[in-house]
Amino acid sequence: MSFTRRAFVKTVGVGSAAFMAARRSAWAELLQAPAPARAPRPLLLHNNENPLGPGEAVLEAVRSALGQGGPAGRYPWDDVTQLHQAIADRFGVSPENVVTGCGSTQILREAVQIFTSPVKPLVAGQLTYEECAGYADLVGTPVRAIPLDRSLKLDLEAMADAARGAGVAFVNNPNNPTATLLSGDAMDAFIERVHTAAPDAVVLIDEAYHDYVTDPSHRTQIPRAVKDPRLVVARTFSKAHGMAGMRVGYAIGHPDTIKRLAWEGPNALNVAGIVAATASIKDEARLRRESARNMEARKFTLDWFSRAGFGGTDSQTNFIFVDIKRPAKGFRDACREQGVLVSRDFPPLEKSYMRISIGTLDEMKRAVDVFGNVLGVKAKAA
Amino acid sequence: MPVSRRSFLHALSPAPAGPSSAFVAARGREAHAAEGASAPARRSAGVLLLDSNENPLGPGRAAMEALTRAFVDAGRYPTNARPSTADLREAIAHRVSVRPENVALGAGSWELLRSAVRLHASSARHLVTAAPTFEQPEKMAEQLGIGVRRVPVDKDGRIDLEATAQAARWAGLIFFCNPNNPTSTVHPARAVTEFVTRVRKESPDTAILIDEAYHDYVTDPGYATAVPLALEHPNVVVTRTLSKAYGMAGMRIGYAVGQPRAIENFNRWGITFNQNSLAVAAAVASLGDPAHIDAERARNTEARAFTTRFFQDLGCRVMDSQANFLFVETGRPAREFKEACARRGILVGRAFPPLDKSHARVSIGTVDEMQRAGVVIAEVLGAGRPVPAAASSPSRPPR
Ligand SMILES: Cc1ncc(COP(=O)(O)O)c(C=O)c1O
Ligand SMILES: Cc1ncc(COP(=O)(O)O)c(C=O)c1O
Repeated sequence: MSFTRRAFVKTVGVGSAAFMAARRSAWAELLQAPAPARAPRPLLLHNNENPLGPGEAVLEAVRSALGQGGPAGRYPWDDVTQLHQAIADRFGVSPENVVTGCGSTQILREAVQIFTSPVKPLVAGQLTYEECAGYADLVGTPVRAIPLDRSLKLDLEAMADAARGAGVAFVNNPNNPTATLLSGDAMDAFIERVHTAAPDAVVLIDEAYHDYVTDPSHRTQIPRAVKDPRLVVARTFSKAHGMAGMRVGYAIGHPDTIKRLAWEGPNALNVAGIVAATASIKDEARLRRESARNMEARKFTLDWFSRAGFGGTDSQTNFIFVDIKRPAKGFRDACREQGVLVSRDFPPLEKSYMRISIGTLDEMKRAVDVFGNVLGVKAKAA
Repeated sequence: MPVSRRSFLHALSPAPAGPSSAFVAARGREAHAAEGASAPARRSAGVLLLDSNENPLGPGRAAMEALTRAFVDAGRYPTNARPSTADLREAIAHRVSVRPENVALGAGSWELLRSAVRLHASSARHLVTAAPTFEQPEKMAEQLGIGVRRVPVDKDGRIDLEATAQAARWAGLIFFCNPNNPTSTVHPARAVTEFVTRVRKESPDTAILIDEAYHDYVTDPGYATAVPLALEHPNVVVTRTLSKAYGMAGMRIGYAVGQPRAIENFNRWGITFNQNSLAVAAAVASLGDPAHIDAERARNTEARAFTTRFFQDLGCRVMDSQANFLFVETGRPAREFKEACARRGILVGRAFPPLDKSHARVSIGTVDEMQRAGVVIAEVLGAGRPVPAAASSPSRPPR
């Protein structure tokens, strides 16, 4: 393979600046082209996604970032630093208070990895988001699963009682799948009780649905987490920010705790998600619009069920948890046949409860027709 | 090794404006030598990135088109997006000629290397790796308190398969990087098969992970993928990545190929939803366009030959590169070389002990970039001015 440099440059134009420039402008063009129409698909009311996605400003940020000359091909370390700064700015904390992950699921599992062990159990609700308990099973951490109280809320009293000797007490607030909220005061009292009963345990609060809460008794625990080395708050861009596909979550806490929590490092974060999250965290107005939009569609759907004779919990999220008075499985299968996907089983409540994610109001109007058919009611829908 | 890993971490961690602990944990010493006071940020204008073995051109056109089309699904989990993670598994299976149940996805192959350590090594069963090689597996082992045996590469930078096989008795996992990062060398198919057969016989419970991150850049006709071995043996797994020839390092997609049982284990241990929906679309499109990988291999092969000749003309021995980077005997500490280059706007690879006193790793960019880099590198190496490769003087022996 012998050739001269001069001959090489002439024949292999592929490395030339002109080629690169052409390639970049070709990208810029195509990144601006409208997306072609796609085939219809079922209504996706099964994974608590935001039906509107991330919004134009965020996509524009991705578009221009990726159009600028190929950071998609580069490891995104620099961009992670910017994202940490943007999150820190949003909450008035410093970047050392922030860790990001490939979705908040990565952070939840890191917390279990770092703060629990075969002799330091995980305390969690019996019906709550399952990432922590699932990972605990993998690594051999015992799980103390505490049943919900009668109103289908996490039983904070019983969880605090179970916290002695634990490594992590996990509270999902509001809780998936029950959609219920625990007040700021109740959470404060819980954190203090756990700290007293189990001085080494870390309280991990998953506020994935924070931006959808409309109950004024709610308070985020972020301000406290910044100061308290045994309290961590996890958040995600997957819900109200509309970025489930982008895979970015974060946690905020005391620098010492955050440092330990970053066990797997930023390797799993992708550049499109980082850029999108950095843009989205600044857009408070959009979050408020999304919350209002969700509240309207949520109320419409709960009202429909209520008129049809089915009660649900007081949802503070973008999904509802409804007593459909029959096994979830039959309902789910029948809805699927009619083009609506709803949630999986949530034992021990799978004999009568169903979780339904809230889409757009239009989608929910279509969905309740299907629910009416399946439940055999002709509810006097609005 | 003058600076132990621990003291290195220690020295870095308190700096408030410096990289976060997450960075240090993830990248180890990688790139950090370049992030001293004198180094420019990786993404500043005009800085040449020859430090991370990326494809300088990024993803191909088909990938970018697909990524744009996928914007409508940015709000959907990657299992719901169109294409979905299931489609990606199928596309990979098709490309590698296996079935989807032979394929596990990772957020980069990084994630799969870490899972492999968890799955196969333990405090009772050590990890066998090379020195130097890609360090993610040993980093994971250290984090988990698992013993590590490092087998030095031979004088040509090749992984010492004989010594590795000997170190494998009672081992949980062998990490075998082929081509090897940072030494860039490859073992031919026959040697790989013999090695696997021998280990399977002498230490049947030892798993073997063959990391083929640079597979698409290999031009040595004796090389072949170990995917058939992974299909044949229950504890042999091959990992690949779309970060290198596919030009998608920012998108974080890697995969493992193996028997369905092994693959299920990777899936169990993987990060839940470890793929980005846009990246999935880009990857599916990219995998359906093998011609652009052939073009990328050709482009890299030429730039590699050019850069190899350049270093040889400076009197530096270069290991036989089968990847998109060179391992060069500069005859001076990697750190010094790296810092000198960084001051002049070129980031090159970090120190790789035990060859950190004499060798440097330089990733291969475009020919234009390598020409620019050549001017600086020649200066740094004290040649005064670049020696044009065209004036090809015969290679001198290494200093
Ligand atoms: C309570 C809760 N936490 C975390 C997650 C995971 O979110 P992410 O997409 O950030 O990984 C979910 C997703 O459904 C969730 O409901
Ligand atoms: C040999 C080898 N394996 C794996 C990786 C990890 O790559 P990724 O996580 O981007 O797939 C690298 C990256 O440099 C590498 O050199």
